[in-house]
Amino acid sequence: MPLIMARQGEERLIRKIGGKAELKKHLENLGFVVGGTVTVISEIGGNVIVNVKNSRIAISREMACRILV
Amino acid sequence: MPTKIALAGNPNSGKTTLFNALTGSNQYVGNWPGVTIEKKEGKLRSDTYKDITIVDLPGIYSLSPYTLEEVIARDYLITENPDAIINIVDGTNLERNLYLTTQLAELGIPMVVAVNMMDIVEKNGDRINLDKLSEKLGCPVIGISALRKAGITEAAEKAAELANKKVPMTPKHRFSDELEHAIESIEGLLGDRVEDKNKRWTAIKVFERDIKIMERLDLDDSLKERIENIIDGCETDMDDDSESIITNERYLYISSIIKDCYRRKSNKKMTTSDKIDRIVTNRWLALPIFALAMFAVYYLAVTTVGTWMTDWTNDVLFGEIIPPAMESFLDSIGTAPWLQSLILDGIIAGVGAVLGFIPQMLVLFLALALLEDCGYMARVAFIMDRIFRKFGLSGKSFIPMLIGTGCGVPGIMASRTIENERDRRMTIMVTTFIPCGAKLPVIALISGALFNGAWWVAPSAYFVGIAAIIFSGIILKKTRMFSGDPAPFVMELPPYHRPVAGNVLRSMWERGWSFIKKAGTIILLSTIVVWFASSFGIVDGRIVMVDDVNDGFLSKIGGAIAPVFAPLGWGQWQATVATITGLVAKENVVSTLGILYGFAEVAEDGFEIWGLLASSFTVLSAYSFLVFNLLCAPCFAAIGAIRREMNNTKWTLFAIGYQTLFAYAVSLSIYQLGMLFTGNGFGIGTAAAILIVALFLYLLMRPYRERPIEAASVQASM
Repeated sequence: MPLIMARQGEERLIRKIGGKAELKKHLENLGFVVGGTVTVISEIGGNVIVNVKNSRIAISREMACRILV
Repeated sequence: MPTKIALAGNPNSGKTTLFNALTGSNQYVGNWPGVTIEKKEGKLRSDTYKDITIVDLPGIYSLSPYTLEEVIARDYLITENPDAIINIVDGTNLERNLYLTTQLAELGIPMVVAVNMMDIVEKNGDRINLDKLSEKLGCPVIGISALRKAGITEAAEKAAELANKKVPMTPKHRFSDELEHAIESIEGLLGDRVEDKNKRWTAIKVFERDIKIMERLDLDDSLKERIENIIDGCETDMDDDSESIITNERYLYISSIIKDCYRRKSNKKMTTSDKIDRIVTNRWLALPIFALAMFAVYYLAVTTVGTWMTDWTNDVLFGEIIPPAMESFLDSIGTAPWLQSLILDGIIAGVGAVLGFIPQMLVLFLALALLEDCGYMARVAFIMDRIFRKFGLSGKSFIPMLIGTGCGVPGIMASRTIENERDRRMTIMVTTFIPCGAKLPVIALISGALFNGAWWVAPSAYFVGIAAIIFSGIILKKTRMFSGDPAPFVMELPPYHRPVAGNVLRSMWERGWSFIKKAGTIILLSTIVVWFASSFGIVDGRIVMVDDVNDGFLSKIGGAIAPVFAPLGWGQWQATVATITGLVAKENVVSTLGILYGFAEVAEDGFEIWGLLASSFTVLSAYSFLVFNLLCAPCFAAIGAIRREMNNTKWTLFAIGYQTLFAYAVSLSIYQLGMLFTGNGFGIGTAAAILIVALFLYLLMRPYRERPIEAASVQASM
């Protein structure tokens, strides 16, 4: 399911990252890799703050829809 | 030639703090990613090593840049061949930070890894085995705390030593056999086109199909095809695209290192930052908290604390103390009357009017610096993203605007952190709508002199700025040039921490000082020009000093232009001149009014300096004057910044023209409709205002055309 549907505070495995190649690369550089874990910390109108590899990353809804967990 | 040591690392990992500590510089440090947008150089302060230049680079997550300032850092590392690299790694976030380390290691440049924030790592009870890490990475690893200045000299001297010995970095890490095989084959095909020390890195970049590197290599087609075959083969075998293969392999390798070198105190609990984020970015509380914070900042700066200080400076220091003292001093040494007038009515009235507002600015900058340094401002970008997105900007546009509250020039430059060029242009165009520090005196003057310091005037100026941004966003987004969705928002949020007094005070002082400097230079000069132009005029065919400013040159010039602004409610030549001198620096609006209205009054009792000003404006025309000066073309310095960042004259002119027209239309509507509602009858101006409002509504409401069908359907399905 897309990341925006994940429950707050629940650690989940990243299964797939979609979106444009350039952006996907940027997300990978930030620590979003398939097989890695991600935890949603907070959500506001679909935008989420997640914990990935010990750093907090804010991503907008458009992007959160393309990360499958 | 001096030895060059580059500081490279992730955004917000403490590069600039280290740079300041090593070189004794005073570069601006902030708690969000992307504070440094240009490379900066400084001399290493060391007894052992002389002539070493430290280069501070913008933060990067990888050597495949995503944003403009990342390109600056990468290009420097690759093309300018620094003699050594100090790779700063945030010890509290080892895994993600080492990702860049694995890439830097491949560049073949002598490298030292400095694990920063060791004090926090220890406080958290975590353990990093630095010796083991050094062994695994194949380069010296030194634990430091840039903030506490621990271990930094050691790190710098180690780097200098490596640079002098020219020990190239040879990465120890190996990828999986399939990938290694593919990379070796590419290395073989590249042959001696590439220097040995760069070979592995270049081969990896070729494997990733990096466009810039391919261009630089300029391979012939048959070779390209053979390389492509190797990549294709590997992609099929590993069932992923080449870039992701490399990324995954890097992270796999990093986890293998981390396992041996890093022990986390096993706490699965939420960190303090997470807890704060739960509240501050909560979907219901986020906006009210933000509005409250901004209101508090402006209320504090303009309406209460700042004003008490400013009132004292204006009324007592520049009202009762300095002018009479100066006057008696000038009298006692027998100065010529005209010189006395220049000093008292020109310089003191003008520069003093501006200096009086410095306390307010300092309070404003202090409050903003506190919010910045604790980490809240980065969250605001996130909170604002949902809203900004509705009118075509991304939350990242907020950071330039935020910096713009201090000064528009760095604000405009901060737009570099925005990835998408369209978004960036639009941000540049609207950033200066946010009242900058120099506009603060204008706001304070109007609210003080005409609204008796009403509590709502200063915050309203801020919200007028935001509204202008929102409307412009919607209107511009619907034009062909700006259509298209903004790039998705992705931004790292820094951890919250208690503001560091040094950082906050430096940030406040740096911004404040630039205004004080301006008061002593450009504004001083402007006041002299304004004084001359207003106190000399032609009487009976001769140029003489006039008693009444209304006979001066300036009055004639301003009077000729003033009708342009008459529909906005302030057709007096003084207001016109003030607006025009505001283009040189916005504080000039205040200093010019100070000279033109303060004239007679300062000498008398000095208390009611702004009485004359108040009598020549109505509440409505004053607000219209304020709004026009807030929104119209920014000062020349900011226009220059727009020109540099747009890198295009047409765009620059468009931006300036748009801002001025927009300001004119808004002020006209405010004044004319205000007049209508206060029962002043219907005139041509009212009709024009109604037309403008109708046009605005049309521009706001008209359907959004240019969106590509595919994007639109994705949007709809979400």
